Amino acid sequence: MNTDTFILATGAALPGDPVDNDAMARRFGTNAQWVELFVGTRTRHFAVDLETGEQTHTLADLASAAAAQAMSRAGVEAADIDFLVLGTATPDMLMPATVNLVADRLGIDQVATYQLQSGCAGAVQALDIGARLLDEDRRTGLVIGGDVCAKHLVLDRDTSATPPGELINYVLFGDGAGAAVLSADDEGAPMRLTSVLNRFTGLGRDPAQVIHWWGETGQPEGARSVAEDYKAIEERVPGMAVEVLHELLDRAGWDSSSVSFLLPPQLSGRMTQRIVKELAVDGATEVSCVAETGNNGNALPFLQLDALAPRLGPGHRAVAVAIESSKWLKGGFTLEGR
Amino acid sequence: MTTGSEHIAVVGIDCRFPGAGDKDAFWDMLVRGEHGVSEVPAPRWDGAAFHDAAGGAGRVNTRFGAFMSDPDAFDFEFFGVSPREAAAMDPQQRMLLQAAWRAVEDSGVAPGALAGSATGVFVGMMSSEWATLHLSDYPGLTAHRGSGNGYCMAANRVSYHLDLRGPSTAVDTACSSSLVATHLAANAIRAGDCDQAIVAGVNLMLTPALSIFYTQAGLSAPDGRCKPFSGAADGIGRGEGVGVVVLRRLSDALADRQPVYAVIEGSAVNQDGRSNGITAPSRWSQESVLTAAYARAGVRPRDIAFVEGHGTGTTLGDMIEVKALGAVHGGPRPQPCLLGSVKGNIGHAEGAAGIAGLIKACLALDRRVLPPTLHSETESPRLKLAEQGLRLARGAVRLPKGANGTVRGAVSSFGLGGTNAHVVLASAPVVRRPAEPGGVGVLTVSANTAAALRRNIAALAEAVEGQPDERLGQLCHSTNRVKSGLRQRVALAATSVAQARAELRGLLRDSIPTEQRGKPKVAFLFTGQGSQFAGMGAALRAACPPFRDRLAEADAALRPHLGVSISAIALDGKERDGLGVDATALTQPALFALQYALAAALADLGVRPDAVLGHSVGEFAAACATGVLTLAEAAAMIATRGALMQALPPGGAMIAVRAGADEVADLVAAEPLVSIAAVNGPDSVVLSGDAGGARRIAAALAESGRKVTELVVSHGFHSPLMTQAARDFGDRAFSGIAAPRPATAAFASTVRGRFAAGDELDPAYWVEQITAPVRFADAMAALARREPTHLVEIGPRGVLLGLAVRAGLTGGAKRLVPVPGAAATGAEFAATLATLYSDGMDLDWDRLYRDGQRVPRRLPGYVFADTERFWASAATVRGNTASVVTEKTVTEDQVSPRSERPVRRLGDGPVDAVLAAVAEIGDYAVADLAPEAKLHEDLGFDSIMVMQLGDQLTEVLRLTEPIPVEELLPRVTTVGELLAFAAEVSQEGKR
Repeated sequence: MNTDTFILATGAALPGDPVDNDAMARRFGTNAQWVELFVGTRTRHFAVDLETGEQTHTLADLASAAAAQAMSRAGVEAADIDFLVLGTATPDMLMPATVNLVADRLGIDQVATYQLQSGCAGAVQALDIGARLLDEDRRTGLVIGGDVCAKHLVLDRDTSATPPGELINYVLFGDGAGAAVLSADDEGAPMRLTSVLNRFTGLGRDPAQVIHWWGETGQPEGARSVAEDYKAIEERVPGMAVEVLHELLDRAGWDSSSVSFLLPPQLSGRMTQRIVKELAVDGATEVSCVAETGNNGNALPFLQLDALAPRLGPGHRAVAVAIESSKWLKGGFTLEGR
Repeated sequence: MTTGSEHIAVVGIDCRFPGAGDKDAFWDMLVRGEHGVSEVPAPRWDGAAFHDAAGGAGRVNTRFGAFMSDPDAFDFEFFGVSPREAAAMDPQQRMLLQAAWRAVEDSGVAPGALAGSATGVFVGMMSSEWATLHLSDYPGLTAHRGSGNGYCMAANRVSYHLDLRGPSTAVDTACSSSLVATHLAANAIRAGDCDQAIVAGVNLMLTPALSIFYTQAGLSAPDGRCKPFSGAADGIGRGEGVGVVVLRRLSDALADRQPVYAVIEGSAVNQDGRSNGITAPSRWSQESVLTAAYARAGVRPRDIAFVEGHGTGTTLGDMIEVKALGAVHGGPRPQPCLLGSVKGNIGHAEGAAGIAGLIKACLALDRRVLPPTLHSETESPRLKLAEQGLRLARGAVRLPKGANGTVRGAVSSFGLGGTNAHVVLASAPVVRRPAEPGGVGVLTVSANTAAALRRNIAALAEAVEGQPDERLGQLCHSTNRVKSGLRQRVALAATSVAQARAELRGLLRDSIPTEQRGKPKVAFLFTGQGSQFAGMGAALRAACPPFRDRLAEADAALRPHLGVSISAIALDGKERDGLGVDATALTQPALFALQYALAAALADLGVRPDAVLGHSVGEFAAACATGVLTLAEAAAMIATRGALMQALPPGGAMIAVRAGADEVADLVAAEPLVSIAAVNGPDSVVLSGDAGGARRIAAALAESGRKVTELVVSHGFHSPLMTQAARDFGDRAFSGIAAPRPATAAFASTVRGRFAAGDELDPAYWVEQITAPVRFADAMAALARREPTHLVEIGPRGVLLGLAVRAGLTGGAKRLVPVPGAAATGAEFAATLATLYSDGMDLDWDRLYRDGQRVPRRLPGYVFADTERFWASAATVRGNTASVVTEKTVTEDQVSPRSERPVRRLGDGPVDAVLAAVAEIGDYAVADLAPEAKLHEDLGFDSIMVMQLGDQLTEVLRLTEPIPVEELLPRVTTVGELLAFAAEVSQEGKR
């Protein structure tokens, strides 16, 4: 990074009230105890009213709300924002890109906007690009991540016959958005982003997470829009996370014992617990949210940052790791409290 | 920094230009590259009749111009101007009044708060076509037409209506008038003539006179459009509008945390002198005004990112302007200086042209976006802009930051007669003011009428939409600061943006109560023992800074006596030696602390009681609230009192019975260790004393069908069992209060069952208070006779209000419980404030908010009524007779002339004759004259009209001697008083 990157404030937006596993069981016939035990996700938020099936929030709604919160906490106005970067796997539309609707909502005009087609590593990619965009002229920018899986929640189907492999997605995922205001100026900034790792590592590897989209031609007969290779994910993600952690620590010249906070990958409550164990950063406080928010993809690292913000004191060090199993992306960043 | 270059902040803006009804619409128009040019509207003049493409004598070579859509609308009622006077006022004055009001609001200040301040008014204008229309109509010339005309009156009227005491002047340097006014205003602030200034420019085309002049001078564009710096430029297209900015010293604005659009770093004004003809521009003088302005601002031309040029679109004018700019900006610079002119959008607004350019530049710096200049696609190659270091602004661009992150621009304005002005602007210093969440806030809206209130509620509801909850405190504070001062008002306790918006929308659906009340007369009722609970007041402490601060004060005063923090025990549920808040040694100081803090917090916010009443132990905080006891005295007394009672042997009982005091008297007389502890109502008493005796009485009463309830108490308070505690309390001789002070509010004593003067509350009183029965019902009855409008329970839950209701002693008073028990969230405290404000109390809101919430945010400007129309123009004038058309548009398409309004039929009596006189002088409909309407403030009766009124009264009351006005004035403020006066005079006449 040529310019120092500071985070002035974070924001988060989760739609509606949390939906617990009992409610999921009532709606989809999933086994609440099984979810609790094997997935480890207790609640999630949906941008859809489960009773009526109506979409209550768009990605633009959530991303704007998270960004507005971050901006108001930072004390910056629309005119101060020099660029926007939004990472998402689930744009409201393919065109216009949701990031531009968000700019419009926020009253931002005449600046560069970027939308990343991304998953769990999207927030890291957004931070990477945001940090690189800061320069002499662009002093302040917004980076946002969010996902709304409304298009994938089929509410009018009888789920009793659905195979568990498909049902797990219902309990695993959730909706939400998070945001951060980046600045090249340190004044009053509570955190400094000291490094970002963002890397494609999927050469020759099959994707483990696939989300299709169809246009006018519609969904092909028998095709599933979402597919995961959970086996591959379970096998590979923990190891990749460990690699990312050590690369970040090496780069920063930090000993793992000097790390105050660990922001681990947020796959599910259970998987995250497993990964934390393997990361073995003893003494660091884990900052996770997936058990309460569900896996809301691009929002996750921002939600973790939002939870970290009030706890990160001057001199505290934090390491975040995010792995995207779609095509095997490594992501992570390090932070210092100020 | 020397005074000469002190930075001046532009803190408020309001404007209306052709095609743009307000500041935001103006900005949208600029960024989108739109224009407001249309055919001459029929109400102005007959465009076709005056049109001659060849531009013959007395003709105009265009049928087009940039005209405002509704320059005839004026909210006369808001400004207390009579319809008659409004109709006689130059519409430019009316437009200025409304725009000035909104610009001050936009600066985060209530216009009313400027009354009496050294605020200057500088108005640039060059047309007074209203005068042309009216001043030759000799028979029609009235006093109001006199004061309704003239440049000076345009400025002075703003000073008058806002009560501003700084310099007030009109500036006419033709087309540069309003930018010269800006220069003069900034200098007046630097010189200390005023602390802030309202700077305006206004222009209206009521006649084709100047259009004919431009045509005859060969300056008028056939398509009525200015095409600045374009190869297609072929002259001026006229425009109009009103623009107002509010200026302050930057240091003052930053200290007040006002939002700042831009900073005036320097400016200069000069003259062409003897140029090539009086209307010919001078390149040399333009060059020197630019140089002088940059020197004063201490900036280099290369620091200027853009110039908002004069750019009228005349071949000669554009050429000379570009050459002058090039001479200054043509040197080495990182990027060409961007050039544009707002005249492409709104035409040449003459007296308002300079302010239009200034507003465009300020908005550009505020939003860091330079809008495009129209017609740049046909840039004139003859101007050789690139060689001059200039480039036309094509398409909106984000302005690049210069050194230190500052963006600079400049504005030019050149007068037809050779007076030039140039102003250097910089972007506002970057000050991050993070929003502080939490707490409770109150949103306030006020207006002059019920209908106006609805309009303004709707505007606020729209403004809060989509705001993050973090902003709520700032929004509430801003509405209190800017939007709370008018007569019709509503307020709501705001806990989230969504809730606030929903409630505002709800107000629009429901009818808003708009009854006129006097100022609220508030009584505080201080709750007694039994109302306490662990955790009481905790939510309010978290939500309300003044309560938190006052509680800390009480805590500190009690701590030496208790050895512990009473708030830790009362609010956090801690214990002292195994005793909690329910042990009377701690209950009494705990209740006192909460009540002291609650009453003091309310007082901090401007709620001061007219009367107080304390139930038993509640009298200590009540005595503090009225200044009879100091906090230190009361703290010492209450701690001692509690400790002495705690030290008594436990036992005793208190039993509430549903019976009158008379009914239990005999039974009580038979039990020497039992007494009536409290009379809470006609059939509600509390017995106290020896448990056996009290239960015997209760059993007897229960047998006769009375409801009895034994209270959970540690001791039998207010009974003979308390005698020892009372004696010991007396022995402590609280000498500090040997000379009790007068009470600042009426003190309804529950010891005496009546009001007690402050000096009655001597040490002996407080001793007596321990054993004497609590005569709540009598004290409450005395209080009720004072007819309070609001009863506020000062305690951890609503108890006394319930007793008062059951005793039928609340009268018509509203009952408010700022801390309603364990479920309280803090919002109820805000709701109490909201009710008191809505009912007419003016509050000091500031302390309700945390530091990060006391940041004014810009709110939508006041939404004026636009149903009343007053108009005169070349189209309405016949010969020398200027006829003003006034009308009231009920809806857009439904227009009914004023004369068709329903008129109350008048009888022949003197009262009706007087009413008719008032109506006639002010041109009001009789039905609109409410008795409580004030002649001066509401109906706009000035000295001239009062003289007329005196004359007419003399006539209609058939008096032999004229009524001396000096006798009339002090007695008559409202219409009702006038009628009473007339009735009286006419009675005397008959005698």
